[in-house]
Amino acid sequence: MAVVETFQVEGHIVDSLILAKILDLILEAGADYRLVEVDIGRTVNDPSRAVVEITVDDDAALGRLAEQLQVHGANPTATEDATVEVTDSAGVLPVGFYSTTNLATEARVGGHWIAVTNPEMDCGLVVDGGLGEGDVVSVRTVPMHRVLAGDRVVVGNRGVRVQAPEKPRGVSTFEFMDSEVSSEKPKGLAVRNLANRVREAREAGARVLAVCGPAVVHTGGAPEIARLVRSGWVQVLFAGNGFATHDIEATVLGTSLGVSVTEGSPTEGGHSNHLRVINEVRRHGSIAAAVDAGWITGGVMYECVRAGVPFLLGGSIRDDGPLPDTVTDVVDAADRMRGLIDGVGVALMLATTLHAIATGNILPAGVETFCVDINQAVVTKLADRGSHQAHGIVTDVGLFLRQLADELGA
Amino acid sequence: MPALEWGRSYLMCPPTHYGVLYEINPWMHKEVAVDQDRARTQWEDLMATLCAAGAEVEVAEPDGSVPDMVFTANAGIVNRHDGTSQFVPSHFRFPERQGETEIFAAWFARHGFVVDRLPADLAHEGAGDALPFAAGLVSGYRLRSDLPATAELARLMGVPVRAVELVDPRLYHIDITFCPLDDRRAICAPMGWDRYGRRVVESLVPEPLWLEDSEALSFCANSVVVGRTVVMPATPPRIGRQLEAWGFDVVTCDVSEFLKAGGGCRCLTLALDVDLRRPSSARASPA
Repeated sequence: MAVVETFQVEGHIVDSLILAKILDLILEAGADYRLVEVDIGRTVNDPSRAVVEITVDDDAALGRLAEQLQVHGANPTATEDATVEVTDSAGVLPVGFYSTTNLATEARVGGHWIAVTNPEMDCGLVVDGGLGEGDVVSVRTVPMHRVLAGDRVVVGNRGVRVQAPEKPRGVSTFEFMDSEVSSEKPKGLAVRNLANRVREAREAGARVLAVCGPAVVHTGGAPEIARLVRSGWVQVLFAGNGFATHDIEATVLGTSLGVSVTEGSPTEGGHSNHLRVINEVRRHGSIAAAVDAGWITGGVMYECVRAGVPFLLGGSIRDDGPLPDTVTDVVDAADRMRGLIDGVGVALMLATTLHAIATGNILPAGVETFCVDINQAVVTKLADRGSHQAHGIVTDVGLFLRQLADELGA
Repeated sequence: MPALEWGRSYLMCPPTHYGVLYEINPWMHKEVAVDQDRARTQWEDLMATLCAAGAEVEVAEPDGSVPDMVFTANAGIVNRHDGTSQFVPSHFRFPERQGETEIFAAWFARHGFVVDRLPADLAHEGAGDALPFAAGLVSGYRLRSDLPATAELARLMGVPVRAVELVDPRLYHIDITFCPLDDRRAICAPMGWDRYGRRVVESLVPEPLWLEDSEALSFCANSVVVGRTVVMPATPPRIGRQLEAWGFDVVTCDVSEFLKAGGGCRCLTLALDVDLRRPSSARASPA
């Protein structure tokens, strides 16, 4: 993995050609540089200062280059280890804890840069091991509520560095799509490109996560998701009580929130259909039990149970029922989601604001995220909450999913 | 061409305890004995030559613990401006010479100089690695002096310090490769510098007198300039002719006993009348 280190050099480095020499040495070593800061002396008598960020293949090459550069007065600026403080109470991070981003992050421990195993935003960093000779060091993110008394938590910014995600070379479809989130974009192209990304991710062994809102069912998209699950294009499903309820309602009673999914017209007594569905699933004990009993015979939840695709239904205060599978403790729900995202390479956020943001919160920036919504504000909200990797596609989710499933040959 | 405005007052230290007792440059060989009497005679001849050329010489008391104290050029850097006398003592690379720092610092403090210090972890070997030119200092680095020390010197002295990388261990100080003759001219030994250093000197010196490699190794750049007189440890014929063509009087002064330790005329002297901030020589160029 490429390593990045920042060096500083000071003096009459411009007219002594020291800066030129240093930059030449960096390039000759096959490394790359970025001038982070050049402070040219205001008068001929004032020394100048330059801060150079160097990207080099590996630690060994960095060491060799650092030795060369030191002769010419350039020294690493961040030679200090991360400061670590031991927590004294569970569920409380130390004052001044390092607050994480979702970017690939490294912390310096015992003079070495250690990659954080599970980047996640808005967490603390806990250092494990490394206490004795030969004891392996690791660094992981920990959400506030899961920190334990005695954990060694990084405080301050010193000795922590993040890596900006690598930009793909050349102009990709999503690069120009990202110029602004807009409804005025060719959808066919977006669907085809998204299908390609999903296919590439699957070929690379990555998992695909679908995060679904109830509008997927209302707009007639549930059978398409079911097709995608059945054909092996979805490996994890996150949703809420509403999505699962309406999906089952559509299969069992042919309505979604009482409206016929085929006719589009309200049905007699339809307003209570979803409650009757929830009630029957509760009678069975779980969605899986209802599937096994032959009460649920199709739909997204049915296909998930059949295909063994894990799902997590996160509860909310306005839920009816809820379904027995709905996790009503939101902290517990988020933790269970964390347990399911390992190996996810592509995330599809489908017509949901709250679950999209909740999922965006726990995904590393490296996960390609596509947010499909009729409302472009959802995509903006996701990006505003730190999931800058999200690509937005503003369109009707039902039509979109049909095209996607067709493209993937589901 | 106006003569150099500094170089009429020197500090020297008699070779009472001088000898090649260790080896810290390729010229030094412990098995080569120094002829003490000859060394004393050569040193006195050099002092007499400088005085005859119009210079004043002050003499520092030698100290038995540091045989290289005779090479006063490495004592530190002097800057006398506007009635203030400033001295920055050297920090030597090799432990063998580190004892000289406090001896010279004490001498300069006694003589009314403000003694400013470099950070303890940075090496810089004084006027041996920093010569005044173009309203600043040209400073050698890598072999004996650390580059970050030049930034500190610039801060302490308030002048630009242009660093030149020294690449040949035989030419281990800048004063073996560079000798300012006046405002426009200097003797230059490019074999001692890397390609960046050569470009730096080219841009600073309007009329360089470039030395061939063999001329450079004769130590002829380690000369002392007193007005229009150049006192040289050796004078290659081509160099002597050029200096005379420019109107300099050339005096060759035998310091062969000191060449055994890798030191010539310049190494045996430290100019005490350098004013780095003399306004007339101000030049504009970016830092």
